[in-house]
Amino acid sequence: MSRRHGPPPTGSRNVVSQAAEIFRYRSLIGNLVAKDLKVRYKSSVLGFFWSLLNPLLMMLVFTFVFTQLLGETIPHFPVFVLIGLLSWNWTSTSIGMGTTSLIDNASLINKVYFPRILLPISVVASNMANYVLALPVIFAAMLVARMEFTPWILYLPVIIFVQMTFLVGAVLILSAIHIYFRDTTVLVEVGLTAWFFMTPIFYRVEDVAPDYVSLMYRLNPMASIIAELHTILYYGGVPDPFFMARTFATALAMVVIGYVLFNRVSKHLGERL
Amino acid sequence: MALIAPPAQPAIEFRDVSRRFVLHHERRASFQDWFVGLIRPRGAAEEFWALRDVSFTVRRGETFGLVGRNGAGKSTMLKLVTRILEPSSGVIKVNGRTYAMLELGAGFHPELSGRDNVFLNGSLYGFSRKEMARRFEQIVQFAELERFIDTPVKHYSSGMYARLGFGIAVHMDPEILVIDEVLAVGDQTFQQKCYRALDDLKARGTTILFVSHDANAVRSFCDRAALLSGGQLIDVGPAEDIVDHYQRLLHETEPRVSLLRVRPVDPLGNPTDEVISGDDLRLEVLLRAPNGTGTAGLGLQIDLVDESGTHLFSAGGELPADLPFAQQAIQRAGDEPDTRVARLCISAFPLAATTVRLIATLTNLGGDDRDVVDRSESQITVAPANDQSRGLLRLNYEWSWQAPDSADVVDLTVKRLGR
Repeated sequence: MSRRHGPPPTGSRNVVSQAAEIFRYRSLIGNLVAKDLKVRYKSSVLGFFWSLLNPLLMMLVFTFVFTQLLGETIPHFPVFVLIGLLSWNWTSTSIGMGTTSLIDNASLINKVYFPRILLPISVVASNMANYVLALPVIFAAMLVARMEFTPWILYLPVIIFVQMTFLVGAVLILSAIHIYFRDTTVLVEVGLTAWFFMTPIFYRVEDVAPDYVSLMYRLNPMASIIAELHTILYYGGVPDPFFMARTFATALAMVVIGYVLFNRVSKHLGERL
Repeated sequence: MALIAPPAQPAIEFRDVSRRFVLHHERRASFQDWFVGLIRPRGAAEEFWALRDVSFTVRRGETFGLVGRNGAGKSTMLKLVTRILEPSSGVIKVNGRTYAMLELGAGFHPELSGRDNVFLNGSLYGFSRKEMARRFEQIVQFAELERFIDTPVKHYSSGMYARLGFGIAVHMDPEILVIDEVLAVGDQTFQQKCYRALDDLKARGTTILFVSHDANAVRSFCDRAALLSGGQLIDVGPAEDIVDHYQRLLHETEPRVSLLRVRPVDPLGNPTDEVISGDDLRLEVLLRAPNGTGTAGLGLQIDLVDESGTHLFSAGGELPADLPFAQQAIQRAGDEPDTRVARLCISAFPLAATTVRLIATLTNLGGDDRDVVDRSESQITVAPANDQSRGLLRLNYEWSWQAPDSADVVDLTVKRLGR
């Protein structure tokens, strides 16, 4: 392994060698995810069930408020809202933890070299593991509600992959910005709250604001992702491949922007922490 | 045709490497600051070169020491070798798998068990689970943690922590091992064990880059060394020579505080020539402490010697870390701006009219030997007090022309009874 750094003669270290390096460190993602899950669940099975409690309680709260107080008429409302909540939880925890992932690991960054990009990525990955582990709860809720399972459920990994790509892009951008602006966290917090209400988690955008349907799906990838989850799980319907393809394109663009931004920032990481 | 062996590739090569840091006196690290900065321009940023034009090579299989005072750039250098920092200019080549121990147990997570931390730490250095599993038993054995390997490391003692950290490092089969001051921890047995393990690695051809404040460790353990001072590489060569050079440098660059003068002053602090017997004697000692050197660890002594050489009096004191600067008035009189002042007041100076030699001595209190740093001498002439006394000393006296007051005697008796 030979390396050369400093102002390189032609361009920066190329994408291929960086990708090779990330691949060499692939076990780090696994270990960081394992570390995260172990610490979160305190290495106990019960710990994992506790983590399911939050979305289940939220489901109850939303169901009560919307069906009893506000007279929402969406059938099987608990299932409808749970699908959106779990997916949203993945997004909001990834973005919250991902934004600060570099600062949180400052001591590590100052002592050991490893591709720093793996820190925000592992946050998305560990929350994804969390999400996937919680999916059976949705299936259980569907069983209880006697809802129909269709083969389109197999489309789920595609949606998860799109969401993962989108989140990686988002945390790369936000963690890079956070290095320079430490109050990014404050904005992210407010932004997440606003975003939660602007995402059709506990309502159908088609019911609430029919005029804004296409605008929302264009501007908010989470709206598209959750709508598609509703399509295949809640309605048992046929997904529109172009719909996810468009969202995926957006997500990919964010990854590219995030990658470029992150690489520029990570050069100065050692002195900025 | 003779076979020409390719020249051995150096393990580490620095070519004209510089590293600059920008110090922002008003650091803007938030949106809030950024908006404020739009209105009120940012204070000037100061540049600081932690390393400047450093070039050297570490040969394959060599144990190379880095010495230098704090702030000489050693840590920056290690961070450059390990890629934690990127150089501002220059080229760094590191040929070989590198393992850096900048801190024992860096990257350990307190909640995880020793076992999990071994694997996590391995992956931080790009080792797969399989590669770590192969080394696991040896690491645990070296660290003597068989019983505690499944305990979260937050319950480990600092010694256990250090053993596990070091155990991982020496079992990673690094081609280049970077060690920063980590052998200072742990007891004697552990240190010996560490050095034995390092000797093993040396024997197997591992290149070791070693930083220590312990001159003897560098002398005995390293083949070659480099001396850093103020971010520049000032000497490279055999470890023995470099350590000698380093120790010479330590002595040379000891902050030199010097005495400017010692003189009597009047109660307002103005220099005076006239000292009157029986009045308070105020002395002022001016010291020069260049470039903000502190005055800690220095002792000041004032001696009074009469014309015949008899030692009359001596007063010693330890200087505080920050002796006050001399007043503006004194500085205008032509003294350097880094002049500091110490004052001594001897109340009711008891010598009658005479000439006295005044000697101020600045000593180094640190270490075993109290060596004299500087010495300054002057003479004072004591004028006779305006009274009837004669002789060598001017003692406080009072005539009493009355018989003892009877009331005083009674008072004394009462006091004694009261006890």
